[in-house]
Amino acid sequence: MSKLKLSGVSKAYGATLALRRGDLEVMAGEVHVLMGSNGSGKSTLCKIIAGSVRPDDGRILIDDTPVTITGPRSARAQGIGIFYQELSLAAHRTVEENVCLAALPAKARLFVDRATLKERAARYITLFEGVSGEGFSADALVGNLRPDQRQLVEIMKALASEAPLIIFDEPTSALDRAQVERFFEILRDLKRRGRGIIFISHRMDEIKAIGDRVTIIRDGETITTLNLNETDAGTVIRLMVGGAGDMPASQSSAPAAVDAKDGAALTVRNLSGSGFRSVSFEVARGEILGFGGLHGQGQSALLRAIFGAGSIGSGEILIGSDRFDAASPRDAIRRGCAYVSGDRGRDGVISGRPIIENVTPIHYLRDRLMIARPSKLRDKVAPALESMHTKFASLFHPINSLSGGNQQKVIIARWLIDRPDVLLLDDPTKGIDLSAKADLFALIRQLAADGLGIVLYSSEDAELLGNANRILVFNGGSVSRELTGPERTRYNLYQAAYEAA
Amino acid sequence: MAEIATSPTYRRAGGLRRLLERYPFLPALAIVLVLLALNGIFSPNSLSYRSLTGLLSTYMALILLAIAQTYVVYAGDIDLSAGSILSLVNVAIIVLMERWGGGAGAVLLALAIGLLLGLACGLVNGLVVAALRLQAIVATFATSIFFTGLALYILPVAGTPAPTIFWRTYGGRLLGLPFVFYILVGLVVLLAVLSRTRLATQLLAVGDDQQAAYQTGLPVVAIRIRGYLLCGLFSALAAFCITGDTASGDPLVGGKMTLFSVAAVVLGGSALSGGWGTVVGSLLGALTIGLISSVVFFMGTPSEWQNFVQGLAILVVLMAGVLAGRRARP
Repeated sequence: MSKLKLSGVSKAYGATLALRRGDLEVMAGEVHVLMGSNGSGKSTLCKIIAGSVRPDDGRILIDDTPVTITGPRSARAQGIGIFYQELSLAAHRTVEENVCLAALPAKARLFVDRATLKERAARYITLFEGVSGEGFSADALVGNLRPDQRQLVEIMKALASEAPLIIFDEPTSALDRAQVERFFEILRDLKRRGRGIIFISHRMDEIKAIGDRVTIIRDGETITTLNLNETDAGTVIRLMVGGAGDMPASQSSAPAAVDAKDGAALTVRNLSGSGFRSVSFEVARGEILGFGGLHGQGQSALLRAIFGAGSIGSGEILIGSDRFDAASPRDAIRRGCAYVSGDRGRDGVISGRPIIENVTPIHYLRDRLMIARPSKLRDKVAPALESMHTKFASLFHPINSLSGGNQQKVIIARWLIDRPDVLLLDDPTKGIDLSAKADLFALIRQLAADGLGIVLYSSEDAELLGNANRILVFNGGSVSRELTGPERTRYNLYQAAYEAA
Repeated sequence: MAEIATSPTYRRAGGLRRLLERYPFLPALAIVLVLLALNGIFSPNSLSYRSLTGLLSTYMALILLAIAQTYVVYAGDIDLSAGSILSLVNVAIIVLMERWGGGAGAVLLALAIGLLLGLACGLVNGLVVAALRLQAIVATFATSIFFTGLALYILPVAGTPAPTIFWRTYGGRLLGLPFVFYILVGLVVLLAVLSRTRLATQLLAVGDDQQAAYQTGLPVVAIRIRGYLLCGLFSALAAFCITGDTASGDPLVGGKMTLFSVAAVVLGGSALSGGWGTVVGSLLGALTIGLISSVVFFMGTPSEWQNFVQGLAILVVLMAGVLAGRRARP
């Protein structure tokens, strides 16, 4: 039975066509995967179904009846729940309040029925019991939680809608393995109960594990719908990128072997701070050093601390042969250290401002630029964006008009105008589609070849194995193992990561 | 699991932090106590039962106005017309009471109309800000001029006295206790009830992240309008207190109180950006402002310097409060 059917749905923002022709049919009791590179229109399609974006054209049928969805409220009333990729949580409210926020249980119509609220929220909180991590409780403020825990809250909130059709727009991007497993168990249970589920993820193994059918979207158009057990990853990826790509190449080929002959770009000795302890390593010029391990083992904390954004207890850091203890990111930038975070919204994007302003802040700082002349800046900005095939309408469009992958390219372009000596990458490809990833890693290798010392933390093992010369595996805040040369295998990486966890 | 213990930025709330999270108004309370102590040092007499009652009846209007302001600030909005609503209601009830003869019935009827008037003003603000989507700060500034205009039309010159029964009751005693104490107790009960409403949680959720609240399916426009309605209602209540305190009508009485109400909200530990705050904090914030004026007076500051010192003191207290409160915010 068809739970939801979209035909010929389109949406344009000004001149940009976000969705040209979206078709989708979701059956009861299936997990329907949506795949497409970032900016292909997946999120727009989901938001149209969930009512937060109004389509310009097209038909929506729920249970074979045509419907008009006027807003998120109306979508809920028609039985649609959604997990938003960018989360829809209130940071100062508790977990249980957030879970029940859409329909606060009422007493005498006016008051919050605390008892019912607690009970209802507990139903969804217990689903993740044991994997939700320390500090996670019904009365914890969402703003105090780690990113993965927040993502769990958003999942609970979507589940609490008890909608016959639930959309999950990249629900697993911050979750660790155990959390993902638990989530998939819940999804399977929902399937058994005849719910329809739309699932978006960039991780092929997850899609294989949970999906029944896949609909592929490219450039705002639905290409086809396939049965997942009758197809393979290669086919899906080829359909996704169209004729244009040998993109997975960067992930399968061996990294450029670089000798440490040019000397160290970055040296860290016995560094301890909040989240990591006695970490020592050296990155040679031209080397890509990988940080591996489970999510949240101190990798990000260490990178942020080196960049001057976190606290350091003891130990020393050298860039080249100079002592480098950045007191603040501003200081770190001046002295040639670059940092790119996967959390674009918090650490990267200057939201609402034009692309050109998003590319130039580092240049302002390093050149002590007092007066900006757009015409001159354009000459510097254009090649930086060009080198990563960034797609944009004009330099003066707001950065929010770009897809996630293109936003991240803009953020990285920032560092390319004045080259740094050391580049710290903190899970830079989070929520970015495959072709953007390929562009990104091609650039990272190019930068390494130019002599930068690069530290790459990635939550995806394939990225580390495909790009890093050496991999340090983190466990509980310190390095538990170093993998070099032929040791760099998926097996070793898993094993080291799970040793003590 | 090892992974959590090492996650730095998202560590568990410590004892003090947790306490502040639960009771964000604690810094404001501490400041009020310090100011009370200072008052006592400079003039022991100022801590007498009589003086405290006087302080309360003078600042009850500001307390209510600060609470009115808090509900819109919850949602990340602001109401720069709260003081003008107070003025408008003040002159409206004064004129009505006078016309209707100043008896008990006339007073109650005038008060009922005053409440409706406050609600109507709140509705206008809500529609202008939430439904027409104008900038709250500019739109309510505009409506404040509009409301002041109405107030000046109703009573062009300050001075019409309130009926004796009205201000005698407000300034007097009931069953041996000052009347303002009953107002305070009634207010605390009202605030406790309001804090349990769905509206309070929804206002805070809207203030936290308006887009998220909309995507969650909350009726954001309706919620913000209700915030302004509450603000209008409490501004009207504030007007009753100012009428009781001054015993006369003045079309410009509330003008300078608006920004004091905003200051009180911030002193009370609420975030002007919305999503975080308590009405109790605003109550204490308003008291803080009252106590600062009183300290400045009792210190024997020369009259030409009083504004200067008062401004300075508010700045200092604001800094102390913000420094303490910042630690509590997630």
